[in-house]
Amino acid sequence: MANLERSLTASFMMAWADTFIFVSQVLMRQRFRTVVLWVAIAIGVIAVNLLTALGEGAKSYVLSEFNVLGRHTLITLPGKKETRGGMPPITGESPRALTLKDAQAVSRLSGVKTVAPLVLGNIEVSYAGKIRESLVMGSSRSFFALRHLVLARGQLLPERGRFKGEAVAVIGSRLQDELFAGKPALGEWLRLGDSRFRVIGVLKTSGTRFGFDMDEVVIIPVVSAQSLFNADGLFRLFAEVRHFSQLDAVKQQMVELLKQRHEGEEDVTVISQDAMLSSLQKILDTLTYAVSGIAAVSMLVAAILIMNMMIITVSQRRKEIGLLKALGASSALVRRLFLAEAGLIAALAALSGWMLSHLVLLLANNYFSDIQFHSPWWAQAASIALALGLSLLFAWLPAQRASSLAPVQALQGKTEQAQR
Amino acid sequence: MRLADGAHWVFSAVISNRSRSLLTALGIAIGITSVSLLTAIGEGVQQYVLESFSQFGARIIAIHPGRKDTHGAGGLLSTIRPLTLQDAAALRRLPGVEQIVPVVQGAGAVEYFKRQRSGVILGVGADMSEAWGFKVALGSFFSADLDQGRSVAVLGYTMRKELFAETNPLGQHIRIGGRRFRVIGAVEKKGQMLGIDMDDVVYIPAQSALQMFNRESLMEIDVVFAANTSLKRMEEAITTLLRQRHGRDDVSLTSQNDMLASMENILSILKMSVAALGGISLLVGAVGILAIMSTTVRERTSEIGLLRAIGASKPLILRLFLVEAVLLAMFGGVLGLLLLLLLQAIFSVLLPDLPMVFQPFFIVLALLVSGLIGLLAGVVPAAQAANLDPVEALHEE
Repeated sequence: MANLERSLTASFMMAWADTFIFVSQVLMRQRFRTVVLWVAIAIGVIAVNLLTALGEGAKSYVLSEFNVLGRHTLITLPGKKETRGGMPPITGESPRALTLKDAQAVSRLSGVKTVAPLVLGNIEVSYAGKIRESLVMGSSRSFFALRHLVLARGQLLPERGRFKGEAVAVIGSRLQDELFAGKPALGEWLRLGDSRFRVIGVLKTSGTRFGFDMDEVVIIPVVSAQSLFNADGLFRLFAEVRHFSQLDAVKQQMVELLKQRHEGEEDVTVISQDAMLSSLQKILDTLTYAVSGIAAVSMLVAAILIMNMMIITVSQRRKEIGLLKALGASSALVRRLFLAEAGLIAALAALSGWMLSHLVLLLANNYFSDIQFHSPWWAQAASIALALGLSLLFAWLPAQRASSLAPVQALQGKTEQAQR
Repeated sequence: MRLADGAHWVFSAVISNRSRSLLTALGIAIGITSVSLLTAIGEGVQQYVLESFSQFGARIIAIHPGRKDTHGAGGLLSTIRPLTLQDAAALRRLPGVEQIVPVVQGAGAVEYFKRQRSGVILGVGADMSEAWGFKVALGSFFSADLDQGRSVAVLGYTMRKELFAETNPLGQHIRIGGRRFRVIGAVEKKGQMLGIDMDDVVYIPAQSALQMFNRESLMEIDVVFAANTSLKRMEEAITTLLRQRHGRDDVSLTSQNDMLASMENILSILKMSVAALGGISLLVGAVGILAIMSTTVRERTSEIGLLRAIGASKPLILRLFLVEAVLLAMFGGVLGLLLLLLLQAIFSVLLPDLPMVFQPFFIVLALLVSGLIGLLAGVVPAAQAANLDPVEALHEE
């Protein structure tokens, strides 16, 4: 009770600083209780921060995985479907093929900087008795810049052969290792199916992107690929616009142009990468919100615990409250004392939880170099605000109960039951 | 102490602090509710996905051209080793094979008079209706060999509605990709599968589709095999046959089982992690029990001292407080299930589409888990109580 007397000397005109000292003393005295409440709130704050960081990290990882083309690129697919689904459309074949002539026509549009056609196929690649089945991409020189493919050695597909089938190939790094086993691949002749191609370049390692393992591809001129697979249709046509602001206008022009070239029938789908990814982004955002929302429920549980503990504290400290009031403390002051107690624990817990989650994220980011986990500022602010807000809200009832005690009865230490 | 006395003692301890017990239990209740609710949603999603996958039947093997796994895009890519209709015909003659569906997929415009709609054009075989379980609602499907390469078409539900509304499409001529086709049937409504509309489709014979798309190779051949043939034997037979025909292994087989197994794997992990998320609240609830029980022990120190003084053993005290903790937690579990019931009722009104599956097993499990949590959270406070020195405890206050 010595603590109490000391506190009381200042209680008549208790300023916020005094309130702080008083409350700190109370918290120190009930160390166990303080620690438990602290832990309960901190768990919630940590959970919200870590889970949003996880969600955001996963989102940016997935988006960067798909974001291989840049914002300036329009993708044309043969075929058109009425249904607008969430996912990028898979159209398969189309009655009228998207041809190289179409690609040339598109490249002449004023807003278009470059185009890159794409023919895709599987084929057996062999060299000196070693055989591997791998992905063949038939395209042009501009494709490399569009897909951010960098050469480790050699040169790109020739510019002059853009619409001419030359028997040259750029190969992925793993394919080089597998087929040539350390020997230089440049200048060697590969066999693709029944045709021979000279290796003129080797790609730098870049790993799986867009669902295709770029380390194991063979890139050849588009015309060569067409004759290899005996198909005149393109799988995709990429077009880069000069200015981002023209994206929609160019898209319209392309649709119109291709419609004209295809006897008035609109049988292609033109999409931008942003449009393709926006639905994916929406799904991942929703997932992040849901996950952090679920984690936030634990803060509600912690707040209920605070309320419970405060109720117990108030009934334990009836005498003390009575004394305070008898000495002239107003109801508002008593309420403030109890609210400050809850607030102080919540603030300390939220702050330490916040710091701890940052520490964990720091370690995680060191450990996983591929994914960057980063909790957005709104989630950090919300987790702390929620912890504080809920704690104060749920502490209000016990604090109110304490403030409305009648001083005399409380001093006599009458129990609640007797009061009823 | 007799069992009945013990029960009475614990029970009155819980009852006498009504608001405190209620609030403590509420913490556990929220935890149990969120875990059960999330598990139910996870289970619902899992069943929904698996169901929409298995509507094609379990005894089905899909053959794609090309050996390399290219993330399901295999059929779309060009290849120099085509999978042909002749391959499909040869596969049909294999013993144990019930149905064969060659598949070519594309997209294009379908026209009838002034109306036009862009949709999926699916080139299939006569067995499709039976193999995939797509019932014909009107007219008939292609007949086996008669319609190979003929210009006949069967409409999907949406396609039929958009082009013909309520009028009878049978015998009418439509244009698909610029060619004339005669409508001979319509398929019943199939709904969506994983977000893809299965009804915005027109079916034509695979041969006609190959011509229309100027393709040599099918994208896929689905083989449905008899119940008395094992999956492994069937896969071997298919591989052997196609190796003979092509001179090498140049196809990849995917069985429905493979697909379901990997899908189920992913979904189970998802379900577990979602349930673990809900577990965070349960953890905080457990901390709550720990806190409240410790407070209770401290408050009742003199009572415990008295009990010890009149001969109650340490294990008995331990047991009494453990039972109290478990009782509190189980009470929370029951409360949680009531809350769950309420939420379920709300959800069924507000979000009737949300797939939720409640299993009685999980409800029993939720109660057991809540009891276990009470036990674990109660150990420390109960040990505190049991280890009190009786003499000092009696002196308290």
